[in-house]
Amino acid sequence: MTAQLAPAAAPHTAPVPRSRRARRRPPQVRLLFLVPAVVFLGLFSFFPLVQLLRMSVSKVTAATLNGTWDFVGLDNFTAGFSSGQSTEALYRTGVFVLVVTILGMVGGLAAAIALRTTGRWSGFLLALMVFVWALPPVVNGSVWKFLLGDSGLFNTLLLTSGLRDTPLPFLYDQYWALMSVAFVNAFVVIPFNALVFRAALMNISPETFEAAALDGASKWQEIRHIMLPSVRPTTLVLLVLTIVYGFRSFDFIYVMTYGGPGTATNTLPFLGYLQAFVRYDFGLGSATSVVAVIGVLVLAAVYARSIRREESES
Amino acid sequence: MKQTAGPATTAIKALLTLMYGVPILWIVLTSFKSSADVFGLQSSFAFRPVTTAYVEAFDGALLTALRQSLLISTGTTALTLLVAVPAAYGLARTTGRISTIGLSLLIVLQMMPQTATVIPMFQIFGNWKLLDSTLGVIIADTALLIPFATLLLRPFFRAVPPQLEEAASIDGASILRAFFSIVLPVARNGVFTVGTLVFLLSWGEFLYAVNFFLAPGSYPLSALLAQQVSAFGINWPGLMALAVLTSIPILIVFTGTYRLLRDGLTVGAVK
Repeated sequence: MTAQLAPAAAPHTAPVPRSRRARRRPPQVRLLFLVPAVVFLGLFSFFPLVQLLRMSVSKVTAATLNGTWDFVGLDNFTAGFSSGQSTEALYRTGVFVLVVTILGMVGGLAAAIALRTTGRWSGFLLALMVFVWALPPVVNGSVWKFLLGDSGLFNTLLLTSGLRDTPLPFLYDQYWALMSVAFVNAFVVIPFNALVFRAALMNISPETFEAAALDGASKWQEIRHIMLPSVRPTTLVLLVLTIVYGFRSFDFIYVMTYGGPGTATNTLPFLGYLQAFVRYDFGLGSATSVVAVIGVLVLAAVYARSIRREESES
Repeated sequence: MKQTAGPATTAIKALLTLMYGVPILWIVLTSFKSSADVFGLQSSFAFRPVTTAYVEAFDGALLTALRQSLLISTGTTALTLLVAVPAAYGLARTTGRISTIGLSLLIVLQMMPQTATVIPMFQIFGNWKLLDSTLGVIIADTALLIPFATLLLRPFFRAVPPQLEEAASIDGASILRAFFSIVLPVARNGVFTVGTLVFLLSWGEFLYAVNFFLAPGSYPLSALLAQQVSAFGINWPGLMALAVLTSIPILIVFTGTYRLLRDGLTVGAVK
């Protein structure tokens, strides 16, 4: 399960009336409540990031991991890019994120529109989808590795129906492998996106649809002119969240292909992991990870801007 | 309002039901097969169910892994809530530069790739003697989930009317007292929702567990599963039995909290 949430404004159900004047104490005293988080995250989140940065400009191997590190400047970075590994990984990450995002967003919206109807089937289906989303990624990854295998369900169906003579190499072909893992990533994010889109659709007042029906609007026109405009703010936030989700994804790659075949599913974050924990070149792995972190910082800036715009629009 | 389900809607729903139903069905079916029946169309549904995979899976190692999973998940949930609940309340009730910076940092941390943080943490934990210990994994998971938990909890605290606290302070209650006896009870649904999510997420976490435990003997279930699925010559019925056993606690938690999850998940992301 992977979840990311936005710190949007307070839920619409409970408007918070402001009455600053009536407050007895200066509200900023409550900043003290942040102290445990500051201490904990300082030790176990920010300090590791500083170490990551230090390792990325040092020569660190398994032998010197807990010893002294030689400063090598940007050597790790240039090594990553000049060997072409980082560049290829960057390109693969782009393709991967694009596929996950398009499938995840379109699938999520389609599912939300279909599940907007009340009824037993919709209720059951929504619960089933959220359950699959809540399952550990290793479980989802395992079953899809099984279903997409040479003798798995999909190839069995393809072969017995006569559509193919040989099994499709879903997980061990250069191009199929990346697409297959991206598909499974999208498969898992669709329930979450559907849930969020659905909540936005439920906020549209029934009168709007009644008025549209009186005017003889078709189903497609309802989607085009009523539903799509009203989910636009949600779409922006979800878009960034889905991009980030695809970008930092590693669990399905780990379980289904472990970066293979060859380097076919080495996205940038996974490449950094392999360099550090399989090739024991912690310096190189850190440098690759720093590049990934910079990518995240850019996405975070875009995200913060879209949130601010959304909050100011309402 | 009458919602008529058109043919397109019905088609999408049918497709989704297949897409999400078949994998679940297949895990369960395969776990009851003998190795000979795993592949092939004829034996997809028509097979003699056997519990071999479960009998073989159920050994001391599985019970150890189950205990480890429970320990890590409950430990992480408790520790995360302990830190994130006050932090979320603090961020919900303050304005100004500090809380804006705090929020931005949490967003950035939440987006960090776990594959990037595992590298320096492995080194740091080696120095601090936290490698190969359950506490180390709990701490790492907690650091991973605090940003998520805090950001999701904050709107729940913002929804608690400040007047309630003002009334309490007029009656002479301290900020701390008002927090525990008024704010926390009002926001309990949010705390419960977030606690459930943190439990589910830490139950599935395996990257820290695989790297920080130096021997598979102390792996939790998710790490055991990750290790077996990337091995050569996978024993599929055994693996699926392990997957089912890993998922049963999730099913229990999910059944008890589905309504809360369904409504609570959308609070943070949608207005």
